[in-house]
Amino acid sequence: MFKNYFKIAIRNLWKSKGFTFINIAGLAIGLSCFILIALYVVDELSYDRFYPNAERIYRVDADIKFGGNQLNLCVSSDPMGPTLKKDYPQVEEYTRIYSSEGDKLVRKGNDYINEEKIVYADSTFFRIFPQTVLSGDAKTALFEPNTVVLSETAAKKYFSTTNASGQTIEIDKKPFKVTAVIKDMPHNSHFHFDFIMSMKNVEYGWNNYLSHNFQTYILLKPGTDYHAFEKNFQQVLDKYVLVQAKQYMPGLNSMAEFRKSGNYLDYFLMPLTKIHLYSNRFPEFEANGNIQYVYIFSAVALFILLIACINFMNLSTARSVNRAKEVGIRKVLGTGKKNLVAQFLSESTLMAIISLALAVAIAYFTLPLFNKVAAKSLNSKSIFSSNFFPFLVALPFVVGVLAGLYPAFFLSKFKPVVVLKGKINAGFKKNIFRSGLVVFQFFTSIVLIIATVVVFKQLQFIQTTNLGFNKSQVLMIQGAGALEKNDAVFKNAVLELPGVKSGTMSGYLPVTSSRSDNTYSKDAVMDPKNALSMQSWVVDYDYINTMDMQIVKGRNFSKNFGTDSTAVILNETAARVLGYEDPVGKKLYQDYQDQNGTRKIVLNVIGVVKDFHFESLRQNIFPLGLRLGHNNSIISFKISGTNVKPLISQIQNKWKALAPGMPFSYRFMDEAFTNMYRAEQRVEQVSITFAILAILIACLGLFGLVTYMAEQRTKEIGVRKVLGATVPNLVAMLSKDFLKLVGIASLIAFPVAWWAMHKWLQDFAYRINIEWWVFLLAAFIALFIALLTVSVQAIKAAIANPVKSLRTE
Amino acid sequence: MIKITELEKVYRTEEVETIALNKLTMEVKDGEFVAVMGPSGCGKSTLLNILGLLDDPDNGSFMFNNIEVAHFNERKRADLRKHNIGFVFQSFNLIDELTVFENVELPLIYTGVKAAERKKRVEEVLDKVQIMHRRNHYPQQLSGGQQQRVAVARAVVNHPKLILADEPTGNLDSHNGNEVMELLTELNEQGTTIVMVTHSEHDARYSHRIIRMLDGQTVTENVLV
Ligand SMILES: Nc1ncnc2c1ncn2[C@@H]1O[C@H](COP(=O)(O)OP(=O)(O)OP(=O)(O)O)[C@@H](O)[C@H]1O
Ligand SMILES: [Mg+2]
Repeated sequence: MFKNYFKIAIRNLWKSKGFTFINIAGLAIGLSCFILIALYVVDELSYDRFYPNAERIYRVDADIKFGGNQLNLCVSSDPMGPTLKKDYPQVEEYTRIYSSEGDKLVRKGNDYINEEKIVYADSTFFRIFPQTVLSGDAKTALFEPNTVVLSETAAKKYFSTTNASGQTIEIDKKPFKVTAVIKDMPHNSHFHFDFIMSMKNVEYGWNNYLSHNFQTYILLKPGTDYHAFEKNFQQVLDKYVLVQAKQYMPGLNSMAEFRKSGNYLDYFLMPLTKIHLYSNRFPEFEANGNIQYVYIFSAVALFILLIACINFMNLSTARSVNRAKEVGIRKVLGTGKKNLVAQFLSESTLMAIISLALAVAIAYFTLPLFNKVAAKSLNSKSIFSSNFFPFLVALPFVVGVLAGLYPAFFLSKFKPVVVLKGKINAGFKKNIFRSGLVVFQFFTSIVLIIATVVVFKQLQFIQTTNLGFNKSQVLMIQGAGALEKNDAVFKNAVLELPGVKSGTMSGYLPVTSSRSDNTYSKDAVMDPKNALSMQSWVVDYDYINTMDMQIVKGRNFSKNFGTDSTAVILNETAARVLGYEDPVGKKLYQDYQDQNGTRKIVLNVIGVVKDFHFESLRQNIFPLGLRLGHNNSIISFKISGTNVKPLISQIQNKWKALAPGMPFSYRFMDEAFTNMYRAEQRVEQVSITFAILAILIACLGLFGLVTYMAEQRTKEIGVRKVLGATVPNLVAMLSKDFLKLVGIASLIAFPVAWWAMHKWLQDFAYRINIEWWVFLLAAFIALFIALLTVSVQAIKAAIANPVKSLRTE
Repeated sequence: MIKITELEKVYRTEEVETIALNKLTMEVKDGEFVAVMGPSGCGKSTLLNILGLLDDPDNGSFMFNNIEVAHFNERKRADLRKHNIGFVFQSFNLIDELTVFENVELPLIYTGVKAAERKKRVEEVLDKVQIMHRRNHYPQQLSGGQQQRVAVARAVVNHPKLILADEPTGNLDSHNGNEVMELLTELNEQGTTIVMVTHSEHDARYSHRIIRMLDGQTVTENVLV
């Protein structure tokens, strides 16, 4: 029975190969997009869920506004974790991670390798984040000082075996005992460490509630409502934080008073499973995903799938009109309605199944490309994973049945007499349903085109906007701390090379690099109203000219002034927050803490530097001060000329002589700058890709429709030609209806695209306006492509000899 | 008006080569009403299509109003056609989606006549074929005879010098057929040249002259008047 239907179905599909091809290709492309994006979305949603107690793990985050600065942190103070566990029985366990020291040099033979994924953690780390242990014992691994746990990758790299526990490894010139080796953390974890050292090795001014430097995770007991638990933070603030804050601000009586002065310090809990998609705080271990993109991608995937399905239905229905005669004869011959429906359904389902097979193949082979575009490491095997594949298999049946049902019922309802007379031509132009589908397809395409253009313009804006410094031709030598006492020798040696204009030694740069936040006050005694919280960057004499920054008031640091060790240059924002028209000559006070207790330091403002974008353009510019000092983690050189390769190798030679065995690593500042916008570039690539695909699918559909329309209207075209219609007359006639639909699609797409892109741009504190021509451009592109598609077929129909079409009686 | 000499038309398909017109020579004078007769497949429609500039001959000469048009390209033929020639087909060939009025209006649109003038001329000609009262109906709503009268109206609305009719009564009963024939005669009396293909001796008698064809050639000519 079914076999018979399918046999006839195959014959029918083969008979109209062109139609079958267009239909299958369209659906296959749509389905493959859908598969790829579904893999992506499923992966994004899976982050950190594999930890056994994932649902009970929370990170303690903090929102701080103080002294003109605003911080959204994912770190809290060192005593926060212990205090929560001590005071609140709901807290089963806590663990802290300390990563502020950044990269470390690890010794391998006579060489030192720069390691980035290196942190300190409490011994409880493995209780909260259990890992697969390859050797040693994770439970006790970090109890003692000078112990380290290695990842599989690290163990193999340094010991060529995963059985490395008991060995000794030298990190930053100190010996550590390897106490365990763990499997590399799964790709869908929000952190990946190669080295976890004992927290006991951290040198820190402990028990400081006011400094936030520790990622703190807590495990709540089962059944604890975390929102209710968050209320306890107020107690922590009143009981512990206030006491310490009073040491700096003697006038402060309560946290309520602090809040009243326009400042705040709020703690809350971030569920572990939400970190990857919802958290974009400072300092995340790795660039997280973004739930917005998950939504956008999902919407796009569904739209493309929908467009493809719509095409499928559209083409099937259009073709069905041409098959009306066949249906009429079958009905006269007594074929029941049920049989007809079954026949149509088997044809559409068969096509859908072939499309799926093709789609899986396409997805399988384009996954590496997709991974590159989306910066993912999705596994092609997961297409066939048990929770994905059944759904995939079900999909073509749904699509096939939906696509088959409409024409099936549409046709089987025909009265045989009418059909045999061939009088249902009018079905074409006046079909609102089909017109609606064309409108929807072009709506999607136009929205995507607009999105692409807006993202492109914003990225261009980022590249060309005046940043307040010049990022081009700045070569950053990273890990320069390894030069130790030779740093100045190295800098001077490089400066002597031809093509090097100037150089500066500082780890604080207006791209991703070191940051340091400090609190100052306008008057000798601090209170919430006169405080200034700002980035304080340690730089040298040559910093401002190497970065091409501009002094707008006062002067730069100078060797001619003996007192510049207490000098500070503010940015314009800091000056504004302090309320100074001209801050030059004014003083700033800072509490400085060391082993001998707290001291007051008095700083002299010597100049104001023009505001420069030291974070990405997503953020506003916050207060910042430059101090003269010594920080050699990065040495940057302004170079000239285009022939940089030989220059770099010359620099490398100097490095080798002055820091033997130490890793030489460099980077161009504009490259580092561009890196801050990876996510946006990804969006751009993705939206270009999908815009092209959506248009392609829409055009396939349009092409099919026009073909069938032209076929149906051959006779009419012939008659019109005989009556004097020219080819342009006819092409215009055939295209007009479709172009009208594209026009309608544009009008609907404009407000939707404007709204969506306006929302996207809100992520940027500095952004472009969406200009009107973007809309016109998108509509023009869509119209042009639609016209091209339609006219190819229309011209073909129009230049046909009318004698032939009139003969077919 | 028409002078063709040694006209040839050959249809080539993969298997066979059909000589539809074989060195055919004939002449049609201004104001004449000529009937073309002959067995099925002898080349009548082919001849009419060439006369109507819908198709081009392979060989020979075709003088239309003393101009050699045998080698005209598509654009020139279309231009000549829409100003000089009207067609009436056996199967009416009205466009289903357009009303009677719109169908008749089409040739005027393609020759660039202004809307007001179009309205005047369409109504004039619809009056003449006595179908004015059905001007807003669709072809499907008319009888065969009415449809053919609309087709005739459409053929003459541009005031062509020549009307080509291919079995105009072929799909009609004798009553409706006679009506159409009388309409054509009337047009001829007003000065329009007519070449009509027909299988009916009865219809042929409306003409001045009958050209009989066989295998792509004229065999005899009977002058009737
Ligand atoms: N496009 C074509 N391709 C191939 N052969 C053709 C074509 N058009 C006509 N013929 C052949 O040319 C010959 C003449 O055809 P034509 O249509 O002129 O005949 P006819 O005299 O009008 O016939 P009827 O009285 O049946 O309408 C026939 O043999 C026909 O099969
Ligand atoms: Mg014929």
